[in-house]
Amino acid sequence: MRFPWSKSTQVAEQPTDDSLAIDVRGLRKTFGDFAAVDSISFTVKRGEIFGFLGPNGSGKSTTIRMLCGTIAPTSGGASVMGYDIDAQAEQVRLNIGYMSQKFSLFEDLTVDENLRFYAGVYGLTDEKFRERRTYILRMADLEGREGELTKNLSVGWKQRLALGCATIHEPKLIFLDEPTSGVDPNARRQFWELLYDLASQGVTLFVTTHYMDEATHCNRLAFIYRGTIIAQGTPQEIKSELAADTIVQLEVADGESALAALGEHPLVTEAYMQGALVNANVGEHSADEAALPAFLAERGFDVTHAEIVEPTLEDAFVHLVGLQGGRA
Amino acid sequence: MIRIMLIMPVMMLIVFGYVVGSDIRNLKLAVLDSDHSPQSQRVVDAFVHSGYFVLAGEPDSETALKKMMDGGKAVIALEIPKGFSDAIREKRPTQIGIVIDGSDSRSSGQANGYAGGIINDLNSEFYPRPSATQAGGVNAQVRVLYNPTMRNINTMVPALLAFILLMSTSNVMSQAIVRERERGTLEQLFVTPIGRTDYLLGKLLPYVGIAAIQVVIVFVIGILWFQVPFHGSLIVIASGLMLFMLSALGIGMLVSLISTNRQQAQQTSQLMQMPQMMLSGFMFPVEAFPTWLYYLTYLIPLRYILVIVRSNFMKGSSFSELWFQFVAMGAFSVGIFFLGLSRFHKRLAD
Repeated sequence: MRFPWSKSTQVAEQPTDDSLAIDVRGLRKTFGDFAAVDSISFTVKRGEIFGFLGPNGSGKSTTIRMLCGTIAPTSGGASVMGYDIDAQAEQVRLNIGYMSQKFSLFEDLTVDENLRFYAGVYGLTDEKFRERRTYILRMADLEGREGELTKNLSVGWKQRLALGCATIHEPKLIFLDEPTSGVDPNARRQFWELLYDLASQGVTLFVTTHYMDEATHCNRLAFIYRGTIIAQGTPQEIKSELAADTIVQLEVADGESALAALGEHPLVTEAYMQGALVNANVGEHSADEAALPAFLAERGFDVTHAEIVEPTLEDAFVHLVGLQGGRA
Repeated sequence: MIRIMLIMPVMMLIVFGYVVGSDIRNLKLAVLDSDHSPQSQRVVDAFVHSGYFVLAGEPDSETALKKMMDGGKAVIALEIPKGFSDAIREKRPTQIGIVIDGSDSRSSGQANGYAGGIINDLNSEFYPRPSATQAGGVNAQVRVLYNPTMRNINTMVPALLAFILLMSTSNVMSQAIVRERERGTLEQLFVTPIGRTDYLLGKLLPYVGIAAIQVVIVFVIGILWFQVPFHGSLIVIASGLMLFMLSALGIGMLVSLISTNRQQAQQTSQLMQMPQMMLSGFMFPVEAFPTWLYYLTYLIPLRYILVIVRSNFMKGSSFSELWFQFVAMGAFSVGIFFLGLSRFHKRLAD
């Protein structure tokens, strides 16, 4: 695992590597005084599912937009599928697919018309279009609904149709910006199966997500916080950051107040809500040493359950954000 | 939104405080003085000092006068015949020709009224002793050019051609683009090989087509049903409207750039249309405005196209008489259109 604390990591010129789908070198975007993306560097190998994580407003979408060539970086550069995002933007666009959380379909067109439109945009031949249409309709489970208006489709269908439209030209790299937001768990699982399918065909996937369980599906992750990448590596590597730490999970009636109380405990380095439960990191100390249930009971909290849990990605990110002096 | 709420009342105040109900002033007056006497000079002074008229020129022939009126450089003309002063000295009746441009029925009606009043006053000055007979005095011979009946509809229909074009293109276009931004399809298209110019062309053409049909409908109904006489040339009207449409499209693009949702685009469009409607001469003649506001109207492209369509409809004015309007409007239109286009290229949908 690598921590690019220093902002100038890898700004130096690098030869374009054929095994890389994305090579980002010191990419920076400022809006006025605000650095939305602050000199980040990372690479994505071909065929990888790369997860790009971070809270809202941390610079995820800005990064994707720069990589897709829709906004120009303030400084730094990147190559995508071997093409420079600045000088060869047209080539980049031909070789990537992009799907946003809005699904970007024309709602007053039918399923078929949406496909036909995007096929036209990418200049597919009639023959190729017929082939892709058949494939996408089957993939998206939309056979028999070709004539339906897109606005009448359920969210899961829209999502899969959007993926179909974004991949109609068979790009070797697909950017997916929060592709599963607002979709029910069942449809999310189905969608990830489609992504695995694409990955098995050698397609590189660059995915941003809020869902930590989805992050574990990725081959590698980068975590962006306040415009800087604070960690990158495989999910295992990132979790291993907390390998030496002990996480105690507490079931307590008034979680929010308990958090405040735990803040005064000398051994607790981090405490945060995990759903309705409270997670407390006691660092390299043991759970017995910390004696959290007793500590809380003394202060009038009713702790119904306490156990040591394996660190999850979420725990790791809370920890990493804590190191940055902020809250996730 | 707060800006709109603050600007709106100020606009209303200006429009209703200065424009609505105020007298039409500064009507452009041409004088063809064939008498060159102190008396004829007195007539001109009386007109100019009334505050309703400003001297726009003194043509030396009937032809030159006609040319001024065709080009809209004068909306009213005085023809003082030779022998005017002799007649007054000898207490014989005489006459002054008053030629009124009827193409703008609102100002021509008022001009006619003012002129009549001034000549009445002059009568009592020139012929102090109450004359027993009706024959004595200066007689105003009014001739109304272009729109002899001074029908309002003849003024409104040509203006509607331009106004409908403005409404439908700038409004609908900003709505269409903002809608795509809301849906995310704008951003989606920007990551495809489609260029932004291709996108805009594709987006524009259907609306341009619809706008053209609307214009034709207004034109045909105006002429056939409302019996608006058409003395102009389709080429002049069409090229004027097309040039004007560029500015409307440019405004539409600019509105779409500063609006994040359709409601906002709608309000911004309205905010931009109101001053255009009120201050361009569409609803109130620009001659009714105070001087500072009158000069401000030169910044409104709609002002020029209104002169073009009205003059062409009723006077058959051609490019040579309307060159100023074409050049000024062309400069605005091309400027606004390319400003919108270049901003559109730079900014992505958020």
